[in-house]
Amino acid sequence: MTVSVPPDPVPPPRRVGHLAARGYAWRGIPFAVRLPTIVHLDADAFFVSCELALKPELRGTKCAVGGRERGIISSASYEARACGVYTPMPTARALKVCPDLIMLPHTSGLYGKVSRRMFDLCEALTPVVQRNSIDEGYLDLGPCGFASSAAIEERVRGLQERISLELQIPVSFGIAANKLVAQIASKLRKPRGFVVVPPGGEEAFLAPLPIGRLPGIGAKTEAALNARGLKLVGDITARNDSELESVFGGGWREIRAIARGEDERPVETERDDAKSYSQQETFADDIGDPGEIERVAKGMIDALLPKIRGDGKRVRTMTVKVRYGDFSQEAHGRSLEAATDLEAPFYPLVAPLLRAAWKQRRPLRLVSVRFSGVEDGPAQLEMFAQTDEKRRRLAGVLDRLNAGRKTAAVVLHGHQLAKKPPVV
Amino acid sequence: MKFKINRDHFANGLAQVLNVVGSKATMPILSNVLIEAEKDQISLTTTNLDLGIRCHIKAEVKETGAVTLPVKRLATIVRELPNIDVSVDASPNHQVKIASGGSNFRIMGIGKEEFPPLPEFGDEKAYDLEQEELTAMLKSVAYAQSTDETRYILNGVYFNFKDGKLTLVATDGRRLALTSKEMEVPAANSGAIILPAKTVAELTRLLDKGAKLKINFNERRAAFQIATDKDSSGLVDSVYLYSKVVEGNYPNYQQVIPKETHQRIKLERELFLQCVHRAALVCSEKSNSVKIKLTSNLLEITAQSPDFGEAHESMAIGYSGPDLQVAFNPAFIMDPLRALTKDEVFFEVKDEVSPGVFKTLDSFICVIMPVRLS
Repeated sequence: MTVSVPPDPVPPPRRVGHLAARGYAWRGIPFAVRLPTIVHLDADAFFVSCELALKPELRGTKCAVGGRERGIISSASYEARACGVYTPMPTARALKVCPDLIMLPHTSGLYGKVSRRMFDLCEALTPVVQRNSIDEGYLDLGPCGFASSAAIEERVRGLQERISLELQIPVSFGIAANKLVAQIASKLRKPRGFVVVPPGGEEAFLAPLPIGRLPGIGAKTEAALNARGLKLVGDITARNDSELESVFGGGWREIRAIARGEDERPVETERDDAKSYSQQETFADDIGDPGEIERVAKGMIDALLPKIRGDGKRVRTMTVKVRYGDFSQEAHGRSLEAATDLEAPFYPLVAPLLRAAWKQRRPLRLVSVRFSGVEDGPAQLEMFAQTDEKRRRLAGVLDRLNAGRKTAAVVLHGHQLAKKPPVV
Repeated sequence: MKFKINRDHFANGLAQVLNVVGSKATMPILSNVLIEAEKDQISLTTTNLDLGIRCHIKAEVKETGAVTLPVKRLATIVRELPNIDVSVDASPNHQVKIASGGSNFRIMGIGKEEFPPLPEFGDEKAYDLEQEELTAMLKSVAYAQSTDETRYILNGVYFNFKDGKLTLVATDGRRLALTSKEMEVPAANSGAIILPAKTVAELTRLLDKGAKLKINFNERRAAFQIATDKDSSGLVDSVYLYSKVVEGNYPNYQQVIPKETHQRIKLERELFLQCVHRAALVCSEKSNSVKIKLTSNLLEITAQSPDFGEAHESMAIGYSGPDLQVAFNPAFIMDPLRALTKDEVFFEVKDEVSPGVFKTLDSFICVIMPVRLS
């Protein structure tokens, strides 16, 4: 579906100086050359769309990608959403509200591959692409030198069609003069949305939208604001300064800027480094055996450290989180003296951290391991640590052997092997 | 107890023992100095239970006896007294009158009964050493001690009397300094201790009072008797320093000293120190390393921090080995260079992940681990 807000007439050149002199300049660029160059793309029901590309016979059905039994829904088709399935929703509950829901298991590696191909197509259009997540990102067409808004629209439509044709997945686009408005626009008409907000029309575009469309305003805040008479974005811009201050407190200026559709953030091509690395596992049945939980946690160490080494990082802090059957949870962390890229220093922390976090003597539904305190750059070598160098060499060999293998035939550490049943 | 004493001698004596006080909260008397008067001298003793110091000052003793007084305040008062002659008079209720010129103080003391006695030594292992020599040896290794309390074994200097020599070692796990001197070590008398960092600091401070000192030790404690024959400000006999030792096994330092020499360069110590010091001025906490690059007859030192800038220094040297580069924490290079006195030092390197080694013509070695650049 496509919605195009009528653009302002491009002002004739003679007015440019006049308007600029009155302050109608935007990032120092005269009014006349302002174009909606920021594009937000957001793949629709991404995981499900990837699966449907492989299983077209399921198109139009209520289906969802997620874990079975005790897992959660990670992506649901629009038909399933219509029945009340949302993400993240426990699979068991989803099957209750929508008994004919077709559950598709995660296909390992598929989504990453489709995502890479999708962003590759984006990069064919402009080099300035910010990959926010697997299924969503920003493009800046500023450097492409398009002469008009229409030219930009045409090229982005071309991109939408190409993604649809080559990858068989629907993607929604929002086009505006900044990231904030482009992002709100892309989410407005899903799926296959295509919304263009002309520069200068930001405030008018946002005004009739429900206040919850603004980033940072969640369901609770929205309800609280509705109670105070603020239902639409336009209700914010209609209030005066002191009223806004009484509602929003010290941050009122930022809220007003957002409501007016003002945003100066550039599209950043370099992704921020990971702040932490984590993995979690939800068990098919709650597990009460500390030995088994310890084995799972150590397996997570073994899964995460190769990634950390691959990124050229070191980590210092490990946090173990446990979740009980009733979803209550507790976490405990500890830091090493110095950051490391090896598994071995973390193994001895597993048992004490588990003891500290797993205080209630009840079986666990989930355990997770998180590494933080990420460091990179030069590493001071230790003197009495020849074994570390040997371990690092061994780890390098293992990483190479395991590279590219998914689950089959990876080299396992001894503690990853499940306990054998006693011989009768 | 009653005595007359020279103000500057008294102040000098108190200055020797002043640093060693215990925590006031657990045992208030540990912040006091024990003053004992007998014959023609007074002795001043402080202790924190791990470490104790006693010195003797000449005085005109009129009445023997003992008392304890808060050492920090007492030292401040004595330094400020108006007249060179000071008289001290303790009453049986431990109040002490101090008079000098027109100044009169009355200070509340605590009886000596509560003061923990310093353990005296009998027939432990004993060696005689030269103060000047031990000072130089301690100075050349002490900077490498660890200050990380979780590695308490390394929070001190290792004294090893063995195989006809005394070896001192200090390491923080990233660098190691070692020096040794030949001396007679009877096999039955060989042994080693880890002297805690605080004791090393006190010992180094005390080692300029005379020619000789004597060390006694067993596996739990050590004691030093430091001659005061060169002192001219009232100290008599010897200063006695008692210390517990760090109990545990010192790491096998021999294994981290490279056995083979790869590339050895001779360096002018002062010049190299200045170059590294200047280059390190651009270092920051996050990028705290200098890169040493060796090419034919040239040594280059570079440092950089992304948000500040970079520095480049070069030195002409005699070198004909392969080109190589290796990065170090600049402090690890500068500390040994500062502590040494010889004009020339030898620096041995191999590659970017192997340790660098400083050597002198004396028995000195300092091994420093590189920083691996990613």
